[in-house]
Amino acid sequence: MFLHQLDLTTALRPSLLPEETLLFVQDAVGLYEGKFKIPQYQNGQAYLTSHRVCYVDNNEPRKNSVAIYLKDVERPDFYAGFLKSSAKITLFPKPLKQLSHGTSIASNPPERASPQRSLAPSPAPAPAPSPSATWVCPICSFSNPVPSNFDPATANARTPLPPCLACGITPPLVHVVKAAITAMSNRQPHGGPPPDYATAATAGSSAQVGTTGQGNISCPRCTFQNHASLNVCEICGASLHTMTDKRLDMAKGIERSESPGPSLPPSPAQDRIFECVKLSFRGGGEKIFFERLKNALVQRKWLLQSAPPIPKPRPSSGAFDDGYSSTGNQTPDDPDRKRVVGIAGLERRGLEQRKNNEAVIGTAFEDLEALMTSAKEVIALAEQFASQTNLGPNGSSEANVIASQSASALGLVTTKDMLGSGSESLYVSELSRNLAEYLTDDTRGILRKEGGIMTLVDLWAVFNRSRGGVELVSPADFEKAAQMWDKLKLPIRLRRFKSGLLVVQGRDRTDEKTVASLLAWLRELHAPSSSSEYTWDVTVYGRGVTAQETAERFGWSVGVANEELEMAEESGALCREQGLDGLRFWENWIINDPAQP
Amino acid sequence: MVTTSSSPLAPIPTSGATTEGSGAFQFPRLYSFPPFFNIQPVLSTRASQLASWSSLIQEYCRHHRIYTLTLVDALSTPLFNNSSLSRRLSLRDARAVIQWMTTTEGGNRAEWISAGNKKVKGEEGGEAGKCWIFWKKPEEWASALEEWVDRTGQKGVVLTLYEITESDATMKEEFYGMDPDLLSRSLSICVKRGKAQIFGGEGSEGVKFF
Repeated sequence: MFLHQLDLTTALRPSLLPEETLLFVQDAVGLYEGKFKIPQYQNGQAYLTSHRVCYVDNNEPRKNSVAIYLKDVERPDFYAGFLKSSAKITLFPKPLKQLSHGTSIASNPPERASPQRSLAPSPAPAPAPSPSATWVCPICSFSNPVPSNFDPATANARTPLPPCLACGITPPLVHVVKAAITAMSNRQPHGGPPPDYATAATAGSSAQVGTTGQGNISCPRCTFQNHASLNVCEICGASLHTMTDKRLDMAKGIERSESPGPSLPPSPAQDRIFECVKLSFRGGGEKIFFERLKNALVQRKWLLQSAPPIPKPRPSSGAFDDGYSSTGNQTPDDPDRKRVVGIAGLERRGLEQRKNNEAVIGTAFEDLEALMTSAKEVIALAEQFASQTNLGPNGSSEANVIASQSASALGLVTTKDMLGSGSESLYVSELSRNLAEYLTDDTRGILRKEGGIMTLVDLWAVFNRSRGGVELVSPADFEKAAQMWDKLKLPIRLRRFKSGLLVVQGRDRTDEKTVASLLAWLRELHAPSSSSEYTWDVTVYGRGVTAQETAERFGWSVGVANEELEMAEESGALCREQGLDGLRFWENWIINDPAQP
Repeated sequence: MVTTSSSPLAPIPTSGATTEGSGAFQFPRLYSFPPFFNIQPVLSTRASQLASWSSLIQEYCRHHRIYTLTLVDALSTPLFNNSSLSRRLSLRDARAVIQWMTTTEGGNRAEWISAGNKKVKGEEGGEAGKCWIFWKKPEEWASALEEWVDRTGQKGVVLTLYEITESDATMKEEFYGMDPDLLSRSLSICVKRGKAQIFGGEGSEGVKFF
């Protein structure tokens, strides 16, 4: 249950879970199981997110893509590479019981059938901060214990912090978060069972030898049925897992010769028990990947999801929360807070809210790490500000709406620092996928609003706006990324009109479809509604349309409408009339005259 | 010459240069299709359009017994000017149509007449754009004449040119009122074929078929 099937977005990137953020991307990565290469998983992109390590194959992305949940990872190991051997990062899975626990994130709940699962030791202690974690008061330098319920991953400005035991000053949040994280990372190596033990546990499971149905290990020397969690035989003291290791090797050899290389169709892949999985970095980038992987393992963002919502304390000084629902139930909470009604009450509420905002912003920007911990609040705040400013002078324009969504889109974007060592092509291809996702995202519906087609320049402007002014994409990179759509087989395509105008449209929108829709529309105009103003037979010929009308009708921009009309003319479906009132396009009766018998 | 017909499809009364005037000319329906008066830029459409124009011009000229067109003047005639539609072919486009008709692709149905020397192929028929419209080519005229002579048993008889084009006997024939230049051109083809002989001098030629 170590490798999970991976859902991909339309752009063939891993679709992120809620709250999940992308940390790093590296291309030219291969997968190993133990010492062996996994066939068909040898050239792909590795995505590191806050929750998972994902492998997306370059050739068969839909088929050969797997994800490893970081919560299942016992520890990562780094191998720097030697001569022709590329650098590798090894991910050791947690012992099995652990693996099958807490799979609220996993799409397929694991089955707990195999007996060898019981080999696994009792679950490692839940990742709560160890009682030894301390923070040093910045005022009096007294070592205070970090409260046992304090979790650095979920802590924010509203988490109550006990004051220093010696001087009684409440420490800054960052300070405690740092202390907790340091304590955790120090504890990390000792927290879990020894690595070779984990290996043995999983190895024994695949070997099947020496284990009984009850999950006992029979001693190779005296055949005593030892309890699964024992390392040495209770009777004769012989080591139990050197034995399993040896057998494992033998078993491995046999298995290999029978089926060279485990094939990994998605369903069996989930049932396999992996000793460990290695990511081989053939294109570099392993150092940053490892660095960020370690950080992600320490931060344990995935815990956020199952964690109960953080209770929001209401300090007596200022009302937190939204301040709207609070008036009623607040009175009992704060005896000193008088119930103020009317304009004074509103004013006071506003004042309190501003104070609160100030506090959030103040603590958030103190330090980069603090910004990360309180990112959620800051984003919420930014969105609130955006919507407030939009309420002002006719903020109804679509671009504004898109721009206000920008903060929430922050997690989606690929930025240059997420990518491996200066690899330009990887950046461009990631940007390309990013764009495709952005365009096909139904909640935004960018392409739909533009009638299914928009110019590249417009897209560039909207895209950069929605990035909210950070990590803007240069026009050159943008065009390169757009050119990549075809190569990456994404559902978006870039089209160059005769005039050189570049437009973006869905892959399913072909010229034939456009021509058909144009003709269908022109046929609607045959209705003899106001035929008096026409000097020709409207019922036969319909009437001509300008690019302007077409743009209005299909929601295109005028430039696009013009190009589409000329494309249709080129194909022989339309013909033109250059009149005093401009260029009009007609159904092509010159070739197919309806009057001809 | 302004026509005021309510429907574009209604026959438009016309008076050609050499009128016979038997009934009004029935324009094709494409004539009332506004884009028809714009030469199309797309090749396939353009070819089809030029062919339609060519046949329209030929039919029009056959109906009105027109042998030559002077484009500058003809532009205001119903042929090129659909007044009910208020659309007209521009001089440039009309030239393009005629030019196309002069090519083999257009079936050699027209020929520019240069201002100075008649019958000599000019580039653009002079500034006025004068041209032959061959709704019957000279070869076809020659055959028609031969057939007429054969039908009426006039072989061996000497006929004057006037007799052929203006006499009562030929009233019902297609070549009645034919342009003398075109007639002599057609007759010379007959001579080349060895079917006729031309006598006499300028202005009083006679022809004998055998």
